[in-house]
Amino acid sequence: MSPIGAALGAASAAAGAGALAGLLLPLRVRPLAAGACTTAAGAAGVVAGVAALGGDSWSVRLPGLLPLAGTHLAVDALSGLFIAVAGAVVAAVAVYGIGYSGHGATGAGSRGVQALLPLFAWSLLLVPAAASVSTFLLLWELMALTSLLLVLAEHRLRAEVRGAGVWYAVMTHLGMVSVLAGLAWFAADAGGETFAALRAGADQLSPGVRGAVFVLVTAGFASKAGAVPLHAWLPRAHPEAPSHVSALMSAAMVNLGCYGIVRTGFDLLGGGPSWWWLAVLATGALSAVYGILQAAMSSDLKRLLAYSTTENMGLVLVGIGAAGLFADRGRPELAALALAAALLHLVNHSAFKALLFCAAGSVVHATGERDLDRLGGLRAKMPATAGLFALAALGAVALPPGNGFISEWLLLQSLIHGLQVPGVATAVVLPLAVAVIALSAGLAAAVFVKALGVGFFARPRSEEARRAREAGPFMLAGMGLLAACCVALAVAPGALGSGLDRAGTAAGLAGAPVLDDGTGVRLDAVSAKLVPVWVLAALTVALLAAVGVPRLLRRRRRRLRARLWDCGGGAPTPRMAYTATSFAEPLQRVFDDVLAPEQDVDVTHTRESVYLVERVRFQRRVPDRVEHRLYRPVLDWAERAGEAARRLAPGSVHRYLGYGFFGLVALLLVLAVGW
Amino acid sequence: MTEALYTQLLDLACGAFLLAAVVVLWLRELTVVVRVLAVQGVALAAIPLLIGWYEDEAALLGISAGLALLRGGLLPYLLNRALTGPRDSEHRETRPLVNVAASLLTAALLTLLAYAVTRPLVALEATPATRALPVGFAVVLIGFFVLVTRRRAPSQVVGFLLLDNGITAIAFLAASGVPVIVELGVSFDVLLAVLVLHILTTRMRAAFGGTDLDELRELHD
Amino acid sequence: MSALGYAAIAAQAGAVVVGAPLLTGWMRQVRARLEGRAGAGTAQPWRDLRKLLRKEPITAAGTGPAFRVAPALLVASTLVVAALIPLVSTATPISGHADAILVVGLLALGTVTLALAGLDTGTAFGGMGSSREMTISALVEPTILLAVFALSIPAGSTNLAAIISGAAEDPARLASPAGLLATAALAVAVLAETGRIPVDNPSTHLELTMVHEAMVLEYAGPDLALVELGAQMRLTVLLGLQASLFVPWGIATAGDSWGSLLLALAVLAVKVAALGALLAAAEVFWAKLRLFRVPELLAGSFLLALLAVTASYFLGTGGGIL
Repeated sequence: MSPIGAALGAASAAAGAGALAGLLLPLRVRPLAAGACTTAAGAAGVVAGVAALGGDSWSVRLPGLLPLAGTHLAVDALSGLFIAVAGAVVAAVAVYGIGYSGHGATGAGSRGVQALLPLFAWSLLLVPAAASVSTFLLLWELMALTSLLLVLAEHRLRAEVRGAGVWYAVMTHLGMVSVLAGLAWFAADAGGETFAALRAGADQLSPGVRGAVFVLVTAGFASKAGAVPLHAWLPRAHPEAPSHVSALMSAAMVNLGCYGIVRTGFDLLGGGPSWWWLAVLATGALSAVYGILQAAMSSDLKRLLAYSTTENMGLVLVGIGAAGLFADRGRPELAALALAAALLHLVNHSAFKALLFCAAGSVVHATGERDLDRLGGLRAKMPATAGLFALAALGAVALPPGNGFISEWLLLQSLIHGLQVPGVATAVVLPLAVAVIALSAGLAAAVFVKALGVGFFARPRSEEARRAREAGPFMLAGMGLLAACCVALAVAPGALGSGLDRAGTAAGLAGAPVLDDGTGVRLDAVSAKLVPVWVLAALTVALLAAVGVPRLLRRRRRRLRARLWDCGGGAPTPRMAYTATSFAEPLQRVFDDVLAPEQDVDVTHTRESVYLVERVRFQRRVPDRVEHRLYRPVLDWAERAGEAARRLAPGSVHRYLGYGFFGLVALLLVLAVGW
Repeated sequence: MTEALYTQLLDLACGAFLLAAVVVLWLRELTVVVRVLAVQGVALAAIPLLIGWYEDEAALLGISAGLALLRGGLLPYLLNRALTGPRDSEHRETRPLVNVAASLLTAALLTLLAYAVTRPLVALEATPATRALPVGFAVVLIGFFVLVTRRRAPSQVVGFLLLDNGITAIAFLAASGVPVIVELGVSFDVLLAVLVLHILTTRMRAAFGGTDLDELRELHD
Repeated sequence: MSALGYAAIAAQAGAVVVGAPLLTGWMRQVRARLEGRAGAGTAQPWRDLRKLLRKEPITAAGTGPAFRVAPALLVASTLVVAALIPLVSTATPISGHADAILVVGLLALGTVTLALAGLDTGTAFGGMGSSREMTISALVEPTILLAVFALSIPAGSTNLAAIISGAAEDPARLASPAGLLATAALAVAVLAETGRIPVDNPSTHLELTMVHEAMVLEYAGPDLALVELGAQMRLTVLLGLQASLFVPWGIATAGDSWGSLLLALAVLAVKVAALGALLAAAEVFWAKLRLFRVPELLAGSFLLALLAVTASYFLGTGGGIL
């Protein structure tokens, strides 16, 4: 038996054991046992994924496991990449989860959550391994349901959780319906429901059907990836879930949306006309800028991270769209480069976003606060968490020497050199795409400076923040694993090199090797080179010089402490410090037309005279405009339709039975006449 | 003149021509805008000059001189006279319907659009002159955009002149110029239009005390 | 060759560190003369630095490691950029790493660390400064990268050494509309990145208008010296880069001798001094823009950069990879 099959079998066994442990064991040992099993499942997933990335492949057909079609599983390098990423995130987050949920029987520590988490993790590992439409949809639905129940874990503690759950349930199932319709249509026309049959039959589809299948499937997957305008569930569900579940959702689940697009678009359908990919690219660009703008406006730490997920998935979609565009124009080597950049960014995003959500979870755990305006000063109380958050933020802002920089650099290189591809579309779209990536990178810097500077630096702004304590050993260990992944990706992205190339080849885009010689990134096709180790070493040497030389020149060595500049008005209090809201105000004014903030000023006059003011109330909200304009009308319409439909249900049992009877007769009549 | 030098100079003239249109969007002070328009007129006149020089057509040189006089001298002078209003606020386009930053970004998109639509035309015959066609189209679109979004009557004249400059540039770049008689006729029309708008501005100022076009809505009631 | 290459790196880094305060002093002197003052002399910033470096280090109460590390990191990132970009020679042992996007990223790293330090003080000034700084730097980013895009089209690479040596061989590239528009766009971006008028006033200490100065208000002694040196080095590096990109002559190339290295150093000093004098003279006549007018300026420079990219295939003089 191949190592992939063995490892996936082990992962399934461990996940099953974890679910049983979560369900049956007493509260005292439950988190530890379930967490250990989930970690084992994740580690087995990493083994399977790495084996697949190393060039191994595996497939199996289990006819007895599902009625009718049976179960088909197959792992190639593309699946392997997603399995490895999901496995690594699951393993680290499960360790973190032991500490996170080790207090109390409600919320994250409850029986249901502990039993569901291993199942959710298992579905994350197996979705990329599915090799037939029915297997895929079944696992996809399992993933959606388990994650939905996990989002609802804390519904007794906060009322907002229920609203988030409803949004998530509705949107994920609409997405599911869209994917189901697309794949079912595809399978019907291709004459088989295994992926091999789809691949073989894709050529016989008419262009119209191919386009329709792609649009349906992509819409469903894009909503899972949190792309604008189908993102509305994401900034609700991710913040309200327990933080380790947020980390799994944001770092592993949304990836599978991108997996779906790559798998169907490139592999199963075998590429398509430019308009498919231009649509994907435009969606990605819109998501990147809109997501990061909303993140800049948000002062809820976890909501900010959720919107940043939308941004990063947008960047991945830009890469995927560019890859499709280049492939359609007959430049497979550039297409492979763009796809490799997108996949590398996806891996990087998983590493830093999981760490960011875990660190945010530690903050919530320690203070009970998510509002940046009420945090602050945490670097003194929780130094390790603050340091880990800073490390992850360095990756997220895409600056050297962070890991995010490498993938954004690759993405920019692929777009800049994409201008070699002739045609109006590339000439118009690529400069705009470069500008969009640059703008989102610039705004991301502002966003994470805000999150780190306001949330962790300066002085505490509330009693809760003042009482914060460092996270426990399990949580720190889990975060440490993720931090190690971030550092490894930042220092030696070349280690992934051949794996990425194989993943691209598995998707049908074979190109020149992108990452070689173990450490650096060298693109021979376009003569560009980036060696992260070199950058890190140069920065270290320069930093030592910048610290050391002034120290040699200094005459007095003792460091003095001095008061802050207070304009002579007494020591500044934390209330005078800039909050997250005030930090974002200039950006909000610059992007006023895009964000359309709502504000009202409420002046109450004293009773004696209208010239004397008793109280002034000022309120400003920055609503999600897409949601406001797009979802509100649909929801209103649905509500009116529902009101109208109530008239059909007056409460008479006979009437209800009559509906069924007449419905049956009408159906039979139609059949009889139509025959 | 060698072909390389000709291409280089023609590109520079077209670049300056487009840049002037962009600067018009950027600035608020109308007297400065008029000066920029004069510069654009000179850049426009340089196009037939270069084409005529390269292709040895004396007629184009004459047209170039006429254009420089009309677009670089006479029209800006007339506009400047229209601006000598009583109030200082009249000289500034203070609150355009679309703010300046957004106008500039729109201009970027319009330029890309101009590039996309002229692609097939350029493909017909790729000489240095036709390759610069998108510049003319972009100026036409930007002029139209100015007409749509600016409030003051003098700004409307500016937009109109941008539009016309763009059309003239397209004519030269696409077909090495229009017959002299047509060009004379068009220029005469433009002159008339500017005079009419000049009179309109004066009348508006007398009737409403300002040149904000939104005030014309009153006439509807 | 190798010894020469390492000497070139050392010369670049050394010239930037030593020359940065002199450039600032020179610009202040030009400005003073134009305003009819005598001025403090070109070496005054060096005297200030020496004085500050000898003082005792002071930590403001309630600040953390970010505040302590930021000045050194600012200087370090700028120093790496100074060693990396082809100011004196295009053929150093590390010129293969001189990627334009990496340079943009390293400069942004300095900005981000200083903004974090501003927030770390927990005062209203620090927060105000970093909020404004990050807003401006977010808006500058698209301009810079599009200008990089435009410059990389004729060279077919984002490597600065390749761009500069390519431009030195084919000067027609520089006089083309694409080259001129990219110059203009990059010039505006440089003004914004270095906090000069009209985006920020480096000599102001008025609460309402400060950007950079507000962020670093709490620094004193050697830390302040590093912050000042870092800001001066950024200006020098960016002006030097601008000069190398658009007046690429006089830079040593592969196979040149020691003499040409010295010549390149002298040419660099002349070019940067000339640009500095031009900037100082312009600043005498310009007023600082309101903060919320800055986006207009940056939108304008973004448009110029986009036109630079499009012009290079509009007008067909891009050559290179097209």
